[in-house]
Amino acid sequence: MTDSSSDCTLEEEYVLYKNRPQWRDVTPIQQDDGPNPVVAIAYSEQFRDVYDYFRAVLRSGEKSERVLELTNDAAQLNPANYTVWQYRRDVLHHLNSNLTEELDYIGETIREHPKNYQVWHHRRVIVEWMKDASNELQFTDQVLSLDSKNYHAWQHRQWVVATFKLFDAELQYVNNLLVKDVRNNSAWNQRHFVIVHTTGFTPEIIQRELEFTASKIKDVVNNESAWNYLRGVLCHTESGNITSEDFILDFCQELYDMGCRSPYLLAFTIDICEEFLELGVSSEAYPIQKALQLCEDLAVEHDKIRKEYWKFISRKLSQNVSCKTDVNSSS
Amino acid sequence: MDFVPKRHARYFLRFLHILPSDASHYDSIRLAMCFFAVSGLDLLDSLDQLTLEKKDHIRDWVYHLLIQAKESGAQDEVARWGFQGSSTLIMPPATGVVDHSEPYACSHVSMTYTGLGTLLILGDDLSRVNRKDVAAGVRACQQSDGSFCALLSGSECDMRFVYSAAAVCYILQDWSGMDVGLATNYILQSLSYDGAFAQGPGLESHGGHTFCAVASLSLMGTLHSMLSRKQLDRLRRWCVMRQESGFQGRPNKPIDTCYSFWVGATLKILDCFNLIDEAPNREFSLATQNGITGGFSKWTNTDVEPLHTYFALAGLSLMKEPGVLAIHPELNLSQRAVDHLHRLHEKWNNS
Repeated sequence: MTDSSSDCTLEEEYVLYKNRPQWRDVTPIQQDDGPNPVVAIAYSEQFRDVYDYFRAVLRSGEKSERVLELTNDAAQLNPANYTVWQYRRDVLHHLNSNLTEELDYIGETIREHPKNYQVWHHRRVIVEWMKDASNELQFTDQVLSLDSKNYHAWQHRQWVVATFKLFDAELQYVNNLLVKDVRNNSAWNQRHFVIVHTTGFTPEIIQRELEFTASKIKDVVNNESAWNYLRGVLCHTESGNITSEDFILDFCQELYDMGCRSPYLLAFTIDICEEFLELGVSSEAYPIQKALQLCEDLAVEHDKIRKEYWKFISRKLSQNVSCKTDVNSSS
Repeated sequence: MDFVPKRHARYFLRFLHILPSDASHYDSIRLAMCFFAVSGLDLLDSLDQLTLEKKDHIRDWVYHLLIQAKESGAQDEVARWGFQGSSTLIMPPATGVVDHSEPYACSHVSMTYTGLGTLLILGDDLSRVNRKDVAAGVRACQQSDGSFCALLSGSECDMRFVYSAAAVCYILQDWSGMDVGLATNYILQSLSYDGAFAQGPGLESHGGHTFCAVASLSLMGTLHSMLSRKQLDRLRRWCVMRQESGFQGRPNKPIDTCYSFWVGATLKILDCFNLIDEAPNREFSLATQNGITGGFSKWTNTDVEPLHTYFALAGLSLMKEPGVLAIHPELNLSQRAVDHLHRLHEKWNNS
C-alpha cells in the first residue's frame, strides 16, 4: 500500500486548509477582533488559516475525521486553547474513536509541553473515559524522570493513584525518588499523601516515619523538606504537639550537641521551647531562654537573611514569657 | 543593575500594541496580556503614555470580549457570562452577545478578573457590566467540592480559579458569585502538612497557590477567623523561609522573580512583609532585567516575557521602589485603582 500524501505530510509540504481540495466545501470564518484590537498577535499565515477553519467547524458543528486532524493542527499551534481540546473530545466521542491511540497522541503532546494545564486535563478525561489507568504510573514516571518536581505530573499521578487505587507500590516509588534526591519536596509530599490514604498515621506508622525522617535528616541536615515532613508527622500524634515524642526531643538535642547549627534544627528547637512554655511544662533541656538565645544566634550568624524574622520571634516569645509571669504572679 | 522604569514602560507599550507570532501560545489569554501591560504601566505611573484614544480602544476591546445577557434578567445562557480571554472564537456578526449558534463561546473566570481589573485601572465605572450576570457566570463555574473551573467548556478545577472568583466577587461586591462556605472548605482542605497551601487537597504546597488561598480568605474577610493563630504562625514561617535572595515557590526549588510577588504579597496580607530582607530580593529582581529591551525574566540570563515582567515589578512595588506605585496585595492592582473601585462601591451602595 502506498502512503497517501495527506497522511504523512512533511513540514515543507504543508498545505494551507484553504488550498486543500477536500476542504473546499467549508467557508472559513475570520476572527472578529473588533475595530481597534490591542495585544494583537502577528499570527502566521498557517495560524490564521487553521483557526479560520476551526471557527467554521465550531459554527457548523461538523464532527469528522478531518476535523480531528484540524484540531490537532490547532492544538499544535496553541496547546493552551481549551476549546480546541474540548471540541476534539466532542469529536472523539462522536466518532467513537480509538482511545488508546488518543492516549498515545496526548502522551506525545505532553512530552512536548509538560507544563501545560490543558494537555494534562485532556489526558485525564481520556483516562476517565477508558476507565483504564494501566499506563499512567509509567507515563508520569517518564515525565518525572525528566523533571522530578513537575507539578502537573504529580497532580495527575495523585489523581490516578487515588481514583484507581494504585497505592500498592507507591511508597516504594517515593523511597526510590528520595534515594535519588532527598531534597525532592514533591516526593516528601507524595509520601504524606500515600500514608494518609492507606494506613493512616497510626502510632506505629508515626514511629516508623519519625525514624525514617530522622535518618534522612542525619544524612542531609540542611534539608527543609525533611524537617517540614517531620513536623507534619508530629501533627498526627494524639496531642498534635511537636514535643509529644521523646525520641524527637532527644534527636534534636543530640544533633545540637554534635555541633549542628542548621537553621531548620534551630527553628525546630525554638518551637519546642515555645510549646513547652505554652503547655506550662518546665523542661531542663528546652527552657525558653534557650529559644531566645537561638533566635539571637540565627539572626546574627546562622540565618542572617531572616534576621528581622528571628528578632520578631524573639520579641513574641519574650511577650509570652511576661504574660505567663503576670498570670502566675497574679494567681 | 539600576532599575530602568522607562524601558519597562516601553516594553509594555510594545506588546500592548502587538506580540510576535511566536507568542501564539498566548492567543487564548490575550486579555491577561492586556492586563499585564496596562497594570504594568499603571504601577510605573505611566498611564499618561497611553493617549485618550488608545485608552478608549483598550476599553472597547475588553468590552468586546464580554458575554452577558441580551436583556437584563434573561436566564438562558447564565453559565457563559463574563469575559472571554480573547476574540479567537468571536465570529461576525455575533459580538457582545451569544446565542445557541455559538455553543463554545464562554467566559473564563480568570479573564473576568483581569478584564474587570483592566477596566478599573483605566478609570472605567463598570456601568456597561451587568454585575448580576457576571456574578452568575462565575457561580456557574463552582464545583461541588468548592473549587472553580476556569470555564465551562472543559477545564481543570483548582485554587487559581477560586482566587479569580473571589476577586471578581469582591470587585462586583456581589458574593452571590460563589458559595463562600464551600470555597472556604476547599481552601482549608488544601492546607498542606507543612503549613502552606497547595493547588488542591493532597498536593504540594506552593507559593502561587498559597497567595491564591490567603488572598481569597482575606477578600472574604475571614483570614483571621478561618485560620488559627498557630496556623497563621506556620504560614508566616513557611513564607519567610522561601527567601534565599529572591524567593522560591517551593522548598528546595530555584528562586524565580514572580515569587517576589506571590510570596511577598502573602506576607504583606499576613502583616509581616517587613520581616524579609529587601536588599537581596531587590538585587535579584533587578538582575533579571533586560536593560536594553526592557522587561524582566524568571531567572537571570533568560528571556524576558510579559508575566515575569509584570510580577517582578509588582514585587518591587511591595518594597516601595521609587517610581513604582503601591500595589494592593489581595487584588493585585495599584492602590490607586483600588481607591477608584472603593469609590464605585460607595456609589453602588448609595444607589
